[in-house]
Amino acid sequence: MNKPLPLWMRPWVRITFAVVVLIFLGAAAGGLYLTQTVPEQPIQFPHNFHVGSGIPCMYCHPGAQWGPTAGLPTTQKCLGCHQQVEKRTPEIEKLLNYAANGQSIPWVPVAIQPDFVQFNHRPHVAAGVECATCHGDLTKMTVAEPQRGQNMGWCLECHQKQGPEKWERLSDCALCHY
Amino acid sequence: MAEEQYPEKWGMVIDQDICTGCQACVTACSMENNIPFTGEEEVAYGRGMHWLRIQRYWEGEYPEVSPTHTPMMCQQCGHAPCEPVCPVFATVHSESESINLQVYNRCIGTRYCANNCPYIARSFNWFDYEVPAPMNYYLNPSVTVRRRGVMEKCTFCVQRIYAGQETAKKEGRALRDGDVVPACAQACPVDAIIFGDLTDPNSRVSQAARSERGYTQLEELGTAPRVTYLKGGGTYGG
Repeated sequence: MNKPLPLWMRPWVRITFAVVVLIFLGAAAGGLYLTQTVPEQPIQFPHNFHVGSGIPCMYCHPGAQWGPTAGLPTTQKCLGCHQQVEKRTPEIEKLLNYAANGQSIPWVPVAIQPDFVQFNHRPHVAAGVECATCHGDLTKMTVAEPQRGQNMGWCLECHQKQGPEKWERLSDCALCHY
Repeated sequence: MAEEQYPEKWGMVIDQDICTGCQACVTACSMENNIPFTGEEEVAYGRGMHWLRIQRYWEGEYPEVSPTHTPMMCQQCGHAPCEPVCPVFATVHSESESINLQVYNRCIGTRYCANNCPYIARSFNWFDYEVPAPMNYYLNPSVTVRRRGVMEKCTFCVQRIYAGQETAKKEGRALRDGDVVPACAQACPVDAIIFGDLTDPNSRVSQAARSERGYTQLEELGTAPRVTYLKGGGTYGG
């Protein structure tokens, strides 16, 4: 008589195990993918064109100079230029529709931090950090894309480079968490 | 010297001789710091949440009684008993601001810190407390809304400290006395709570803290509290 195979060598056990592992890996990969995808925006705003034509970031996101949030442009801000610009594309038509109905554009924020992180743009801009350092090279994007690895280690890596005399303050937990 | 070992910066002075126990500071603190309202039943279980409470003591025999009110909050000890017991370093000492911090996203809710606090200043989120409908518009965006299983306590309104420093930096000047006012001090109708920088000998809080009426709570424990209470007991510094 053949001795029965041990449990871990039976084909059905191995196949079931492989399928379960594959399902978990697939779920993990899908979850990671979902956090890194570009969210659907109401208007496919071409950052590459606007930044490429020399408009400073702070023209549309002026809050970064004086406050915590950079802000997303209002319909009126867009119209400030697009009333003068003759060109009509389907995307600009959408903007004019919002303006005609007196609505604001429901932009979807892309660069977001968790609720327990208190980020302030102003000191970073004042310290001369380029927008592209954290938000990526917008000359290569249409709508803004989330940047990978914006975690605490990444914050502290840059804070540590600011010198030992600033490190005491820049490594303080309460600087960002309160 | 204690001062050398535990450098102090932010401090508070509470004048018990003029405090009327009106609870305005308690309300202001709850609103500023998104402290949930736990409700009657939870308070009965000892799960009420306050960062600041008013302890009332009666003195004398009826009918000759008079109350004294002691607003009690985290004393921001220089030598804090809560800090060394935290297994995950969620309550740490801020070296730059010299206050005790509670890092909510690090806290795992062991409650060792609250058990080791001689002032009973900490409160624990036993549950996720619902904020009823119109009140959710009051939530302060500058303060994290804590979730279940997290310890919390008075932070000396650290969000206001940073906001004050930000304003000063934006205007290109040094921080002035009175730039940083925590919610309790702002709400106090008789100005019994004074807040400021203890390193500046001319600040209002430093002058008040040098008063002869001053004492600190449980100072025999050697916790080096940053909150000075003023109580003359009718003698006013005699």
